[in-house]
Amino acid sequence: MPDGLLSEITILDLTEGASGPFCTKLFADYGARVIKVERPGRGDPARRVGPFAPGSNPEAGALFLYLNTGKSGITLDISTPTGRGLLLDLAEHADALVENFPPGHLDALGLGAEALHQRTPRLTVTSVSAFGGGGPYAGYRSTDLTAFAAGGQMSITGTPDREPVTNAGHQAAYQAGLHAFGATLAGLYSVGVIEAGQQIEIAGMECMAATLELYLPDYAYRKTDMLTKRRGNIYSGTLGVFPCADGHIGVHIMVRNFASFARVMDAEWMLEDERFRDNRSRLMNNDEMLAQVYVWAAATTRDEIARRAAEERCSLTPILSISEVLEQPHLQARESFRKLDGTSEGRLSYPGPPFRTGEGEWELRPAPRLGEHNAEIFVELLGLKQGDLARLRATGAI
Amino acid sequence: MERLPLDGIRVFDLSKVWAGPYCTRLLGDMGAEVIKVEGPGAWDLLRSLSLLGGDIERRYNRSAFFNHYNRNKYGCIIDFSQPKGRELALRLVELSDVVVENYRSDVLQRLGLTYEAMREVRPDVILVSMPSHGLWGPEADRIGYGTSMEQLAGLTSLSGYADGGPLKTGISYGDAVSGSFAAAATIAALLRRRWTGRGQHIELAQWETFLSMAGEFYLERGITGRDPVRRGNRHSSMAPHGVYRCEGDDSWVAITVGSDAEFAALCRVIGQPDLVRDERFADVVSRYRNQDELDEVVSAWTRERSHYDAAAQLQEAGVPAMPVLTIPELMADPHLAARGFWEETTHREAGTWMMDGPPWRMSLSPAHVRLPAPCFAEHNDYVLRDLLGLSEDEVSELEREGVTAREPLPGQDE
Repeated sequence: MPDGLLSEITILDLTEGASGPFCTKLFADYGARVIKVERPGRGDPARRVGPFAPGSNPEAGALFLYLNTGKSGITLDISTPTGRGLLLDLAEHADALVENFPPGHLDALGLGAEALHQRTPRLTVTSVSAFGGGGPYAGYRSTDLTAFAAGGQMSITGTPDREPVTNAGHQAAYQAGLHAFGATLAGLYSVGVIEAGQQIEIAGMECMAATLELYLPDYAYRKTDMLTKRRGNIYSGTLGVFPCADGHIGVHIMVRNFASFARVMDAEWMLEDERFRDNRSRLMNNDEMLAQVYVWAAATTRDEIARRAAEERCSLTPILSISEVLEQPHLQARESFRKLDGTSEGRLSYPGPPFRTGEGEWELRPAPRLGEHNAEIFVELLGLKQGDLARLRATGAI
Repeated sequence: MERLPLDGIRVFDLSKVWAGPYCTRLLGDMGAEVIKVEGPGAWDLLRSLSLLGGDIERRYNRSAFFNHYNRNKYGCIIDFSQPKGRELALRLVELSDVVVENYRSDVLQRLGLTYEAMREVRPDVILVSMPSHGLWGPEADRIGYGTSMEQLAGLTSLSGYADGGPLKTGISYGDAVSGSFAAAATIAALLRRRWTGRGQHIELAQWETFLSMAGEFYLERGITGRDPVRRGNRHSSMAPHGVYRCEGDDSWVAITVGSDAEFAALCRVIGQPDLVRDERFADVVSRYRNQDELDEVVSAWTRERSHYDAAAQLQEAGVPAMPVLTIPELMADPHLAARGFWEETTHREAGTWMMDGPPWRMSLSPAHVRLPAPCFAEHNDYVLRDLLGLSEDEVSELEREGVTAREPLPGQDE
């Protein structure tokens, strides 16, 4: 293992599904030692989310393989006294513990922040959930769809004549996990300032409510619902996703970009035309602006638009399929995707570093098989004997 | 006074619009002293997105978009394109732990404010650059905004209704993602500096960053050899799994059912306990196959009640459900209210209103809105005189030369 950006950090990872694992994956890929604790026998339910690669890690589908790169996998039944004791021992070796159980679950097992801090006062304890540990929805059950509905983003995604719709993937979970990553880092940094481990709570609903662009701020301040409705793909003649001759293009034109947009459309006359020459007139004449863009886009191919946009440095982007993203020359030149050569997942393309460091590495390492690192963690880190392991296995504790 | 995690950290914030400012807002929330510097005419374009009438004086200080994402920051005006402005910028770098910028990839170079120039005056500086396409590579000179990233990463192609085309996320999602990643990157670099004594230059190419939000799809493509399918609100195995119309205008509830136990609970709640024995819905596979019919059954029940009521009844029985909260509903929601998420904020010119509080909740150092967003040039004196040690006369001279300003010049974003 090269010198990772976060090599100094050890995370005890009690998360499953998508939200918490996304957080701890980011730690692991930047070199932290992440000890992922799974239930003996079953493991993380994300292991069973397909598709499954024939011949690759038989214990995991695509979602698990992606979200658990670089982690050490152990099994431990923390609901037993033995398991609880071992978890408290492991926590002594960790800087942070991250968990995404239903709120109150760890407390009920005698593994709440208080119990953890009694043994390990400097431990940062991060809880990730959809609603947080307090408030009327704290006991609510949640999936990615319901979490996305709770955060307000869904109400403005979709067309006005149809139901609100989620975006693809696990966006509610990832947003919570991403915020948990930053907040846990802040908690770790604060141990040098406050001299004690913090308890951190990340509620996905709050993370999403904090990122409603101008739509929430405008409502909060002006108390008008002018911007709180769904608008589908077209926000204005200068913002939206438009059909073009052979696909779709994204248009995001700020005032400063309009001249380049007019040039890309071969419509420099618009810069002189009183209907379009400044932002106010374009907004006043939005229907005509829209008509210009629709007609131009419908007759132009995506490649031609991309070529002209590049020449004019105009903020137009092609809507790319997943296959097309993987083939982008810019991303290939930057090695933005990475592979796990020499492993059973070697054919698959994983996203590379989300940010590039000047020093301290990012490194892709495979996701663990269930209990793959039991010996390494229990024997080498905690000092148990091989015989202890056999006994723990026999009693179902690991 | 309670100590905050980033107490004593100073951030020199060159960023504008949303991605960079969201990063520095998170850092400011966590206690960093963030100094946002705008140019006399190159002010943050969010100042122009106030949606207020033209007759309102000093509108640029009343943009809610600007004021929400620039709270917990100080504001100062310096024109870096002039030699004296560049000199002031470097003196600010010297006093700062972190510099954050989200310019186009060539701008810092042109201004002579490179990482190398910064490191000469502040050897352990952490510079966070967040250009859309990165600082190098064949398309590094391109520009992109918050809506572009999900489009370039393939997410837009998979989002939307199963029977429709690609769909834009309601927000400029890439900005929120990049800003959150950049804040984490900054704190990681600060931790690293604590261990090694060295700073570094972080390059966050927003396009590349966004790939992490769609990671499983690239793996799926590799496994199946095909592009993943667009599912809308449906799920690869669960049913019912969707958004259902409720009583009222544009009111909806999201409901998802995974296990047989959850389905039995749903059937009890909607008053049709016998449905669990209906062979069309008897197990997960049958429910998935017959989900169109199942959706009809669920909709018939949800239509008769409010989305809040439907969700509460289902949750009571153990079924994941949530009203699709509109923004006005979100701000009136009892859960966020009980958690004290909204904070009353008073701004010198814009007045008093409720703002979302810091989403990173810390037990020993609860964060709050300590400082409203800066009016244009509000902290010129603090920065130029108190921090940089200029005299009143020197500041007046800089104002005469246009290196700093008290009032904005017409900008390129009006």
